Amino acid sequence: MSGFSGCPGSRMVEFKDSPVGAGSEVKIPSQLRQWPIQLHLVSPEAPYYQGADVVLAADCVPFAMGNFHGDFLKGKALAIACPKLDAGQETYVEKIRSWYEDAKINTLTVMIMQVPCCRGLLATAMQALQGSKRKVPIKYVVVSLQGEVLQEEWVET
Amino acid sequence: METPLKTPIKEVINRFPPVGAILEEFGIGCVPCSVGTCLLGDVVEIHNLSPADEDDLMMRIASVVSPGQAIRRPDSERGRTAKPRKLTYSPPLKRLVDEHKLILRFIAMVPEIAGRVDLESGEGREEILAAVDFIRRYADRYHHAKEEDILFACFDPDLDILKAMHEDHRQGRACVQGVLDALERGDTDGVVENLHGYAGILTEHIKKEDEILYPWMDRNLSTHQVGELHARFQDVDGRYREVQESYEAYVEKVEKNKFIERAEVSR
Repeated sequence: MSGFSGCPGSRMVEFKDSPVGAGSEVKIPSQLRQWPIQLHLVSPEAPYYQGADVVLAADCVPFAMGNFHGDFLKGKALAIACPKLDAGQETYVEKIRSWYEDAKINTLTVMIMQVPCCRGLLATAMQALQGSKRKVPIKYVVVSLQGEVLQEEWVET
Repeated sequence: METPLKTPIKEVINRFPPVGAILEEFGIGCVPCSVGTCLLGDVVEIHNLSPADEDDLMMRIASVVSPGQAIRRPDSERGRTAKPRKLTYSPPLKRLVDEHKLILRFIAMVPEIAGRVDLESGEGREEILAAVDFIRRYADRYHHAKEEDILFACFDPDLDILKAMHEDHRQGRACVQGVLDALERGDTDGVVENLHGYAGILTEHIKKEDEILYPWMDRNLSTHQVGELHARFQDVDGRYREVQESYEAYVEKVEKNKFIERAEVSR
């Protein structure tokens, strides 16, 4: 057997059924207020980004978090991206910078998974901020594979 | 005492003085507070102790104020995290913490300024007026105005912790007025006493804000409020950019003078 465990971002893990809420009949309403949401597809100057609190979530986050809609998406605008697999990420830097400068967003919350490759999304948001004429508070939230918030902090800019 | 959690902290400490020392052990410095109207339960909440530390603190306070009876805040009000305390701030509050650093650098110079008060010479009087100018324009008009007019306005003005902060600001302003009145009378001792008084009040005040008030505010501000505060602070900073730069230069000059004087003394 190999001594290497492989990339944590693609290592196989199986979770047991969660005893809490399993089989629940309660319907949780969506808090999504816009379309599209993929960062390549959105226009950073779309009306729903103007002055908004924006969530930039790694693709896996909303699947891992049971309460993503209620706890983080409610009242906010959204974009999703994968810092590991998406191509053309230089466009992401420009789009995020346009959120800061043109859409004059109020805050940016970057939500990433705990796997190391996900940090790239926060780095992209920071890179965009460094070249921006307008500064915006950025918060980052690190989510575990089973949807727990491991870390939630404002970035020191 | 039937409801210790609902009792003002000063009243608890006055009736049971050992409670002051117990609080101090947990980093809760209420004993020298000039107001002391915060309720014990609110004091415990605002310090965000880990559940284990909170249990320990409450057990020890209970052993003093109500032996044999446990004191415990409702589970819904107790902290959910047992994380060690690490001071981090949202960007707007970090900006205020950075401004504190300049004020603390000035306060560190107060013993030097007070030690060479010379009201007989024009130069000596100018030095005192320059110090008062820093306090009034930078610490008070620029920094405290951001706190009082913008940050504190996000919270219930009846909160005891905010009343205590306002009271610190009021006492600081009274000391500054005291410096000017003493200067007018040619009263060197009065100038020195009020300068030291200001330094003492502001040192404690800044510690309370950096370590207790601001982290508590960050826990209670929404993401949206943080963004709004950031924008409003940036607006103020833009208007007062020259003020900031000129007072940073003032503090540097005072520090440099101290360094030069010490070098001359040691020669």
